[in-house]
Amino acid sequence: MRCHTDARSVCLQTCIVPDHQNLLIAALPLRERKALLAACETVPLKLGEVLCEAASTLRHAYFPQDGFISLVATLDGRPSLEVGMVGVEGMLGATLVLGVRTAPLHALVQGAGHAHRMAAAALRDQLDHSVALRTLVGGYLHAGMEQLALASACTRFHNIGPRLARWLLMSHDRCGGDSFHLTQEFIAYMLGVRRVGVTQAAEALQRQGLIAYRRGEIKVLDRAGLEAAACSCYEVNRRASQRA
Amino acid sequence: MSPTSEVRKNQLLAALPPDVWRRWEPALEEVDMPLGQVLYESGVAMTHVYFPATSIVSLLYVMEDGASAEIAVVGNEGIVGVSLFMGGETTPSRSVVQSAGHGHRMRGQFLKDEFSRSSPVLHLLLRYTQALITQMAQTAVCNRHHSLDKQLCRWLLLSLDRLEGPELSMTQELIANMLGVRREGVTEAASELQRAGLIRYRRGHITVLDRAGLEERTCECYAVVKKEYDRLLPLTTAR
Repeated sequence: MRCHTDARSVCLQTCIVPDHQNLLIAALPLRERKALLAACETVPLKLGEVLCEAASTLRHAYFPQDGFISLVATLDGRPSLEVGMVGVEGMLGATLVLGVRTAPLHALVQGAGHAHRMAAAALRDQLDHSVALRTLVGGYLHAGMEQLALASACTRFHNIGPRLARWLLMSHDRCGGDSFHLTQEFIAYMLGVRRVGVTQAAEALQRQGLIAYRRGEIKVLDRAGLEAAACSCYEVNRRASQRA
Repeated sequence: MSPTSEVRKNQLLAALPPDVWRRWEPALEEVDMPLGQVLYESGVAMTHVYFPATSIVSLLYVMEDGASAEIAVVGNEGIVGVSLFMGGETTPSRSVVQSAGHGHRMRGQFLKDEFSRSSPVLHLLLRYTQALITQMAQTAVCNRHHSLDKQLCRWLLLSLDRLEGPELSMTQELIANMLGVRREGVTEAASELQRAGLIRYRRGHITVLDRAGLEERTCECYAVVKKEYDRLLPLTTAR
C-alpha cells in the first residue's frame, strides 16, 4: 500500500488522480494533458543515473511518476550541495519555459522509479502554444526558485541533525514507501558535509527511534518525530509547494 | 526616441527596441536607491519592479529568527522582482539596497500586462531569470563550502561588474547581514583584504585597488557566475 505522502496531499481535491500520475500533468486541462502525454514515453529512473549536467544542453524533460530526482549545485564538476528535489509533484526541465536550452543544475536520480520523458524540443514547442502549460510550468519553476533561495540560508544556519531530518522527510514524501536506499557518502554530498557528520547525525536519529538505518537502507519509523526534529525549512518548503 | 543615457545604464532597459521603449518610457520612474533601503520584504505583495542603474541590490533570505543569508546580487544587468512575472505575487526574499545609487522602477501590473502581450523583449527577462538561478545555486554552494574571505572577494567582484568605477558605498553591517555572519567577521575579513593591498576600506566606502588580486584570491564561484551571465546576457552597451 502506498504511504500517503505529502506530495500527494498537495493534489487537487477536485479530481481523482490515478496512482503513478504525475501531479503537474494531472493539473493540466484535458487537451494539454493529452498532447503532453502523447509526446512522452515512460522510462525507468535508475538510482544514481545522471539525467543532465549543469551548463549542458537539456535533452529531455522528466515528469516523475514515482522515484525522485536531486538537483545539485557543483564545485569543480563534483556534486556539492543539493538545492532542490523533484518527485511526483514536479518536473525536471522547468527552465525550458525560460527559453534557455541549457540546464542550470546537475540532476541525478536519488530514488529509483519511473518517469514520463519528453524531448526538450517537443516541450518547448508545446510551451510556445499553450498558455495553460506555460503558466503551470512557470509556477512550478517559481516554487523551485523558492526552494533554491531557502537552500542558501538552510546550509548557513541549520545544523546537520535537523538538516538530515528535513532531507529524509523530503525523500520520504517522494519515495512512495517507507524505506529507501542511500549511502552515507551520497547523503554527505547532498548536504555538503563530511561523511562522519552524516554517520553521527543518522545514529542520533536512530537512537531516538525515528529511523532504522542499516546497510544503506533507511526506513522511516516515526514520521511525526522526524518532522519535529527537522529544521523549519521542511515546513516552509511544504507550504511553498502547496501554493504552486 | 531611444532610451536616454541615464536609463541606458540598466542593460535590460537599454536593450529595448524602439517600439517597446515608446510604451515603457512613460511607465518608468527614476528613483533614488539609498543605502539600506528595503525594496521588498519577503512574503509581501510586490507593487513595483526595479531596474538598478548605479545601485546594487542584495536578495536575502530571512529566517524566522531574523538571521539572513545572501541569495543573489542584482545590479545594472538585471531586474529586481522576477517573482512577479514568474507567477508569484510575493517573493521569498528580502531585497535590500547594498550599495547606494539610483535606478528606475515600474508598476508590476504594467510588466505583467507586457508579458501577456508576449513582447519579444521579454525573452531577455526570461534569460535573465536563468542567469539569476545559476547565481542563486552557486551562492548556496559557496556559502556551504567556501571561506568568508573568498565569499567576500566573490561578492566584491560581482558588485564591481555592476558599477562604473571601483567604489562601493556600503556598511559593514549590511555586508554582515548578507554573508550571514557577525559584523566582527566582516571587519576582520575586510582588514585582511586591506592589508593585502586589494581594497581600501573607510567607514561606509570600499575602494577596490587591485581587481586582478581579488580574482586570484576568490573561489571559482565568481567565474562560474560571470561566465553564465556573459553567455546569457551579452552586453548591449559599450562600457
